[in-house]
Amino acid sequence: MGEVIVITSGKGGVGKTTTTANLGTGLALQGKKTVLIDTDIGLRNLDVVMGLENRIVYDLVDVVEGTCRVKQALIKDKRFDGLYLLPAAQTRDKNAVSPAQMEKLCAELKEEFDFVLIDCPAGIEQGFKNAIAGADKAYVVTTPEVSAVRDADRIIGLLEANDIRNPKLIVNRLRPDMVRRGDMMTIDDILDILAIDLLGVIPDDENIIISTNRGEPAVADSKSQAGLAYRNITRRILGEEIPFIDLAARHSLFTRMKKLFGFKPA
Amino acid sequence: MEEKTIIFKGSTEGLAIIIPESYTADQVMTEVGEKIQAAARFFKGAHLNVTYRGILLTPEEETKLFSILDHYSGAIIGSLHVAAAAVVAEPAEGPAGRKPAAGPSLRRFFTKGQDESDCKFVRSTLRGGTRIQYEGSVVVIGDVNPGAEVIATGNVIVLGLLRGMVHAGSGGSREAFIAALKLKPTQLRIADLIARSPNDPDTTGAFPEIASVREGIIEVNPLYERL
Repeated sequence: MGEVIVITSGKGGVGKTTTTANLGTGLALQGKKTVLIDTDIGLRNLDVVMGLENRIVYDLVDVVEGTCRVKQALIKDKRFDGLYLLPAAQTRDKNAVSPAQMEKLCAELKEEFDFVLIDCPAGIEQGFKNAIAGADKAYVVTTPEVSAVRDADRIIGLLEANDIRNPKLIVNRLRPDMVRRGDMMTIDDILDILAIDLLGVIPDDENIIISTNRGEPAVADSKSQAGLAYRNITRRILGEEIPFIDLAARHSLFTRMKKLFGFKPA
Repeated sequence: MEEKTIIFKGSTEGLAIIIPESYTADQVMTEVGEKIQAAARFFKGAHLNVTYRGILLTPEEETKLFSILDHYSGAIIGSLHVAAAAVVAEPAEGPAGRKPAAGPSLRRFFTKGQDESDCKFVRSTLRGGTRIQYEGSVVVIGDVNPGAEVIATGNVIVLGLLRGMVHAGSGGSREAFIAALKLKPTQLRIADLIARSPNDPDTTGAFPEIASVREGIIEVNPLYERL
């Protein structure tokens, strides 16, 4: 029996879809049978990021309405063994699906798959309610911006209210140089407010834009920094203890020297 | 047990004066005058809506009582009128004389200022979008994050970091206070007053602080200074 994980954020544009695509691909590369569900009905993107847009025949709404069987709607990713996508409908809206239907679908899929990753739409309305309905766990994606952290906080509250306990945090698009200059929130700042476990930190990386445009998840690219971060998160999901990369390299030469001489760093 | 003297009772609605049925208007004036003078320090600066019950005063007597209150109490008297259904009320009933307590509204009526009130305990971090509203005081064991709201008729104590909005004394009591281990609120409200944090974020939240009303403005002081 697999696990259903919803990837959510509240705020739009922080990298939910990119994260879903990369973690899904990462899990498949680790030999786990994984299905990605795009619940952003009407504004579907996951298929594009995965490069599977042109293979869509049936979608999520077709499945819940009984137009087709689940198996028929699943798109198999031929590049990665054991990776499947259930795309969202583009011509409908969020009300085309109900939380009860999502719950049933998730229960059905987790019988078959090791991981069911749900790409949640932005916002806290119907689409969000649908996305979390069948989820066992949640990963909250945020960027080091005050507005994104605010929304993440709200989302964590809503998840807890819906009995999805202990969501984990993914901080996306961190810029170590800006953190060092003091122009960006640090990971500690974010954790201070949100008070949940950190699952991983993804550095800001141009390769992500290139790879999402091409439809090739960065996690499979050995040269990409962000890809490495996603691979690390994948391994943490599977229970390995992977230390966090010291992206910020926070200590200046001076504090490092103080450390060397046995003073406590400030 | 019939009351033998005039009794003052504070509530969230204001001040109630309970007059023994046997009193004459003159007795009322003298005794209210004396009592108010004795307690003037307590009333000073407060906004009060006053009701009375036990006997019914004529409009002239009401005006006189109003001026006595206004003159001696140092409070700003908003209004004075007879409590609804009070004229025939208490003493008429049997030997016990006192009406049975009638639910929470009566209990609230007997609450003295802000020193005693019902209390709600919240044992979790309040995240953005959460709203706690309570008739009485609220103690939060955890943080209050930006976008969360705590609204209480009594006091609010946060054993954690207060970043959100807290409204204490929401029923109008300026006696109410707000205390937090770290006070970095987006906004504080006590009764009808509103204060916001200074724009420089580094100056707040270094140590436990308490916010209360002094001379018509919300003032924040270190908690330890008061202890």
